[in-house]
Amino acid sequence: MNADEIEAQIRTIADERRLSPSHLMRWLAMDPESRVALLDIARALRLRTGQLVTALDTLDEIAVREQILVAAVLDRLEIRRIATGPGSAPSRASALLEALRTLRYPRLKKMQEQLRAEVSALKLPRGISIDLPKELGSDELTVSLRVRSAAELAHLLEALDRSRAGLTRIIEMLGGKK
Amino acid sequence: MKFDLDAVFVEHGCAGSALATRVLRAIPRDVPVTCVADNETREAARPASGARDPFGAGKRRLVIARRKTPFLMPCPAGSTKFACCGYLVLTLASNCPMDCSYCFLQEYLADNPAFQVYANFADSFDELDRLAGNARGRNFRVGTGELADSLAFDSITAISRDLIDFFAARENLTLELKTKTDEIENLLGVDPRGRVLVSWTLSPDAVYRSSERLTASPAARIAAARAVLEAGYRVAFHLDPLIAYPGAERDYIRLIDELIDVVPPKQISFISMGGLRMTPRLRGAARSRFPSDPMLCGEDVLAPDGRFRAFTPLRLSLYRTLAERFRKAGAEIPAYLCMEPASVHEHVFGAEPVRPATIGERLARG
Repeated sequence: MNADEIEAQIRTIADERRLSPSHLMRWLAMDPESRVALLDIARALRLRTGQLVTALDTLDEIAVREQILVAAVLDRLEIRRIATGPGSAPSRASALLEALRTLRYPRLKKMQEQLRAEVSALKLPRGISIDLPKELGSDELTVSLRVRSAAELAHLLEALDRSRAGLTRIIEMLGGKK
Repeated sequence: MKFDLDAVFVEHGCAGSALATRVLRAIPRDVPVTCVADNETREAARPASGARDPFGAGKRRLVIARRKTPFLMPCPAGSTKFACCGYLVLTLASNCPMDCSYCFLQEYLADNPAFQVYANFADSFDELDRLAGNARGRNFRVGTGELADSLAFDSITAISRDLIDFFAARENLTLELKTKTDEIENLLGVDPRGRVLVSWTLSPDAVYRSSERLTASPAARIAAARAVLEAGYRVAFHLDPLIAYPGAERDYIRLIDELIDVVPPKQISFISMGGLRMTPRLRGAARSRFPSDPMLCGEDVLAPDGRFRAFTPLRLSLYRTLAERFRKAGAEIPAYLCMEPASVHEHVFGAEPVRPATIGERLARG
């Protein structure tokens, strides 16, 4: 395919998805290799409008962060596995966005995993839920109890008390302690 | 003058003012000067609607006008959500000839981007005297570096000299000149009598190269700090915005080490830190103007205050590391966090923040 044909195909898919003019312009402004790589994956995974917009935005930010081309991001093993792997197009599209998000926020993803592991290790009984702040956007940990009797409340409070050290550690991790 | 100007606009009523006279004498002859009817400067100085970067163009259009609203106000960053530092803002100019990719003025002044300086700036002295007179026994820190850089155009306005003369004679007012330049020539010949502190925003070289266009290099800022210290000024530093890019911790520690090699910790009046924060609108404007700046693509998430910030453990970890580095420097340097809630102060400094008035007082007294 020559450049004109590629542009025509991008315009077609943008038209079908009703992509905003600004997003279309950003796609067309990419280097030739990146344009084609995104076109290929958008087709293979049948990305819907919202997914295409998210992919464009996230790919752009990863490329700027790492000072590489979008094509190089899409050529990574974890992305190629999703693009060419088994599964339905919608499930692979979701997996693609999740993988891109991990590349875009590597330290956030790692920290979320560590914190979830800490919460899981507390082995708290049913009735106690520990909610981390959304996207770790604050230092606020939400601890909720669901009880139907005084005895149940006493049981959960005891369990919480036994987990004091672990909970303190989670709060300290949210507060930036290494 | 270190910054280029495309045009100067003088409000008719300010044409004979001392400030206009100084500026017109100092600017290059080839800069066009237009006299504009009062109240029409905004439209006259507005960059052409088709300009590729109206905000950037506005920075090179200097307006000399009369300020019609009060000069003195509480810091606009202040909020009940945050532990504040009691800073008072004296607005003697609006916008900045430097062009940092993260600058909040891209949103704050989006509709009025021309660089304005106020010819009636001496009227602010009456406001300051009223403030000082109404609160005898209290000390206030008043800065000119919120909506403009305090020294960027000082070589043509020389306002710093008037300010220093005024503050040097006031016992309970401290002037803070906040800058990213090394334009200190006007300061060196005036005795501040301990009433003036000059503060620099400091960033590692990586941030300076990527995001801080037309500013002095970090090394030049530190050297300028040393020079004004020797001339009798107090000095302070703002690590704000702190940007949590990969490698930031190493680079900021190196920057602190470079700073305390040149400026003894005991002689640093205070340090402030503030993580990069951007409203969605500012983020959009900044990304649009600086699409290839990696510093604008950090691991930022939407915080409860509606601003994008580095996710909390990452940001707080950086604060804690730097606070610890300053502690190890061997002197108790007063430090505060800008636009952070009290709980973040507790995580970083191990104690609740003091009231804004109290911290403001401490920072003013030095």
